[in-house]
Amino acid sequence: MRPADLTPVARDVMRVPAGPGLILASLVAAYLFNALPWAGWALLARPDLVLLVLVFWAIHQPASVGQGLAFAFGLAMDVGDSMLLGQHALAYAIAVYGAQVLRVRVLSFPILEQTLHVLGLLAGASAVVVLLNVLLGASLPGPAAAASPLLAAIAWGPLTWLLNLPGLRRMRREAGA
Amino acid sequence: MHREPPPFFHRGPSPLARLTFFALLAIATMIADHRFGALETVRQSLSVLVHPLQQVAAAPGSALSRLADYFASQDRLLRENAELRAKLLEYAAEAQQAKLLRAEQDHLLAMTPGRSRFAAEGVLAEIVSTGRNPFVRKLVLDKGLAQGIKAGMPVIDDEGVVGQVTAVGTFTSEATLLTEKDQSVPVMLTRNGLRAIAVGSGKDGSIDVPFMPVSADIQNGDLFVTSGIDGTYPAGLVVARVTAVEKNAAYVFAKITARPAAGVDNHRFVRILTAMRPAATPLPPAEERRPARERPAGKARRAP
Repeated sequence: MRPADLTPVARDVMRVPAGPGLILASLVAAYLFNALPWAGWALLARPDLVLLVLVFWAIHQPASVGQGLAFAFGLAMDVGDSMLLGQHALAYAIAVYGAQVLRVRVLSFPILEQTLHVLGLLAGASAVVVLLNVLLGASLPGPAAAASPLLAAIAWGPLTWLLNLPGLRRMRREAGA
Repeated sequence: MHREPPPFFHRGPSPLARLTFFALLAIATMIADHRFGALETVRQSLSVLVHPLQQVAAAPGSALSRLADYFASQDRLLRENAELRAKLLEYAAEAQQAKLLRAEQDHLLAMTPGRSRFAAEGVLAEIVSTGRNPFVRKLVLDKGLAQGIKAGMPVIDDEGVVGQVTAVGTFTSEATLLTEKDQSVPVMLTRNGLRAIAVGSGKDGSIDVPFMPVSADIQNGDLFVTSGIDGTYPAGLVVARVTAVEKNAAYVFAKITARPAAGVDNHRFVRILTAMRPAATPLPPAEERRPARERPAGKARRAP
């Protein structure tokens, strides 16, 4: 049976699971990206790659990455950005929950439609953060904040390709052997 | 190669149950952090984990700026040098006068009980970054607990008050700017000694002076300096210059806006004043006392 004969979800289940090393490395790399010295409007528009990678693994490897890891990385983001502890944790847990619920549906679509679903999840997460800060007395951020989920969603296609590369290569090698 | 069977059957609690758990945990964390400030130890221990990553992420940027500094044209350096020399001469005269005044003050203080409201000791700190929280205006400085920095210390630059240290790590500290919401400074008008409290407006480059009666003698261009009656800011530091006075007879209070004197975006170095006095300050005579409805100023309030 060729992989192309399977439904997208079955193909994903049949794929060689990514090792914990790859998952952790991708999350740390995303964290490094988020921790770059952004400032001013660039900080508002910064695409949240940590959340994007979390959502990616929650969709492609739900057994390894769930809301617990999302919560932990959310706390790390709050500490790094010196924000109120727990707000990114809440937003990430909600987004990963959305990814868990939508995962079968998302996987049955091609990349473009997947991107739209992911955009919804990311926009929901940043709405949670903005809402919490407004509740705590901050003024509404400028339109630059809306660019953040958009930019991150655009990265969904390249990210899918990049993070599936090692697994694909391994599958080909094993098929060839 | 051995492979685990794919997990067809879901184990453990449902996603919704997990979400409920984590959402409640997150909300509890937020309340504990916001209301009680109980999680400073958690934050500090997490920051030990996160700090190296941040250093790595900041490395390319700081290396580039260092390189740019290195290749800064000689022309620019010479110009800057000349400017600084001119400024030095300008300040030298004032400094000599200040010395005289200081001697005179010491002499007077020696005769009267009470302590100086002026503080001179400070630590030079470099601005590491302008804060990463898009909702709060903060500076990250390169001095922390190790250099004796404590929360509440005032931060100034060569033009005036920049803000106040609100969080301290081992080697870094965070200063909240004057313009931040809820950040207040007790001030005094240099022209007539009128006392007031300046409160950050939450907008860049502007602070408000609320609760001044319409009849108060305040004009455009008036200079506010710290009054020093709160025990946090030493007296006489330049705070802001009045830019707009709106007096409407329909309201009890005038709407006064001022522009902070300190240029936060222009400099790389600030000074943290370390000589903090205990808050016990003799109350001013009754007629000078603030109206009761103004809230106590100058306390370091942790913004979200």
